[in-house]
Amino acid sequence: MMNRMAIWVLGMAGLAVPAIAQSGLPMPSPVEKELAARASNVTEVTLGKNMLAFAAKFLDGKDKDDEATRHLIEGLDGIYVRSYEFDKEGQYSPVEIEKLRSYFQTGGEWSSIVHEHDKKSGESTDVMMKMVNGNPHGLFVLDAEPKELSIVLILGPVKMEDLSRLSGIGGLGALGDLDMDSHGNANKNKDKEKDKAKAPKGKDGGDE
Amino acid sequence: MDFEWTDQPEKAGSSEQDREFELELRRAMERRPAPPSLKRRIMQKRSSQRTARQRTTVIWWQRLAASLLIGAVLAGGFGWRQMEERRKGEEAKQQVMTALRITNQVLNNMNRKLAEHDRSDNGK
Amino acid sequence: MAQRWQPDFEQLVDEHQSMVFSLAWRMTGDRGLAEEVAQDVFLELDRHMERIESPEHALNWLRRVSVSRSADALRRRRVRGVDLWVEIEDKHGAPVEERQSPLETRLEQLLSTLPEAQRAALVLRYQEDLTPEEIAAAVEAPLATVKSNLHRGLKLLRAKASTHLKEFIRGL
Repeated sequence: MMNRMAIWVLGMAGLAVPAIAQSGLPMPSPVEKELAARASNVTEVTLGKNMLAFAAKFLDGKDKDDEATRHLIEGLDGIYVRSYEFDKEGQYSPVEIEKLRSYFQTGGEWSSIVHEHDKKSGESTDVMMKMVNGNPHGLFVLDAEPKELSIVLILGPVKMEDLSRLSGIGGLGALGDLDMDSHGNANKNKDKEKDKAKAPKGKDGGDE
Repeated sequence: MDFEWTDQPEKAGSSEQDREFELELRRAMERRPAPPSLKRRIMQKRSSQRTARQRTTVIWWQRLAASLLIGAVLAGGFGWRQMEERRKGEEAKQQVMTALRITNQVLNNMNRKLAEHDRSDNGK
Repeated sequence: MAQRWQPDFEQLVDEHQSMVFSLAWRMTGDRGLAEEVAQDVFLELDRHMERIESPEHALNWLRRVSVSRSADALRRRRVRGVDLWVEIEDKHGAPVEERQSPLETRLEQLLSTLPEAQRAALVLRYQEDLTPEEIAAAVEAPLATVKSNLHRGLKLLRAKASTHLKEFIRGL
């Protein structure tokens, strides 16, 4: 009886929990591979704890921006970022979004903070946070735009105040720096041109 | 029996018998001729040892040269390793910046959408 | 200015091989071993040629090293007086030098049964005609020790010779 119970629990756990790389970051989900195949521009960055620590060594303490960046990444367990740009709309489905959300939402420690879905435009935003002893220990953002899909996963003690100051770090773009048109709508394209990381298609990041 | 050690034992105060014995001993201990083959063997062995020593010397010089070369390569390699580490470090730093740039963009998008959502709610 | 003496190895072998061989033979009591020792001594000389300053130096060096290497060879073989006596019987049973009397032959054999230090002293004394001081320098021992070894060695040899001579005479 107990053995059967154990197998069932493990089985359920296996369904819910994505494969975890040695770095503690999840292995890429199958959906990502499909999205990458359809995207015109792919940016994939995977930085484990050791890699972050290594990169931090090369952030010049005398440079204000470097110092701010180092402070932000200090102590993090990993950063997992995916950005897929498409030539035209409709290159991904709501089912795939849901699969991605499910894949990264592992265990009960993650709490959904934002879950916005615009049926008209098809845009959606999901923000989840992992809380450990009342402190944020992970941040997940899934941002689905008509022609762009982005995933951000930050593991470890996230310094939210530093995140909010990301815009202050040179070259990263301004958080909330919106070019509003006369109707109060943000000029999304202009934002994208300014803030987008133009990376060649293919993997950028390196696992541990 | 007391022997007086002198270069002229015949003048010592030892007995005749003692002197006789010593003379016998001297005769018994005359140098024996070395075997005829001894010199040939010595010269042959000497020749082969010298050749071996020269070969060893050459080998030692070769080893020394090789060690110096390896040392130079390693030193150069060490410098190359430092440069390589620097390059990798810069690469890692760029990846961090890329990740943060995307994060910033995503958060911007999130804020924009939230702002739009608020505006549309207020507009109702 | 006097020219520095240039040793000629082959010439040194010609001059001293008998001395070296005899020393080694009398020290070890074994002809075959003596040949090996003699060879080693000269090869060692070849390696030290640059340190040999004069013909006398060469001679003294050869004596000293011959005795030393012979002792080393004996130590390696762990030869005891009794065993050596058996060997002597085997090896020296072979042709005896014509010029040697039976007593002389026997003395030579008995010499091999003496303790090493006494043997060395007697060989250097009676084969090489060295004074006790020269023997002390050759074996690197105090003069008093050398004199003691000479005295005891001679006494022992005399006693052994006396015993065997009687037997020898009885056997005639």
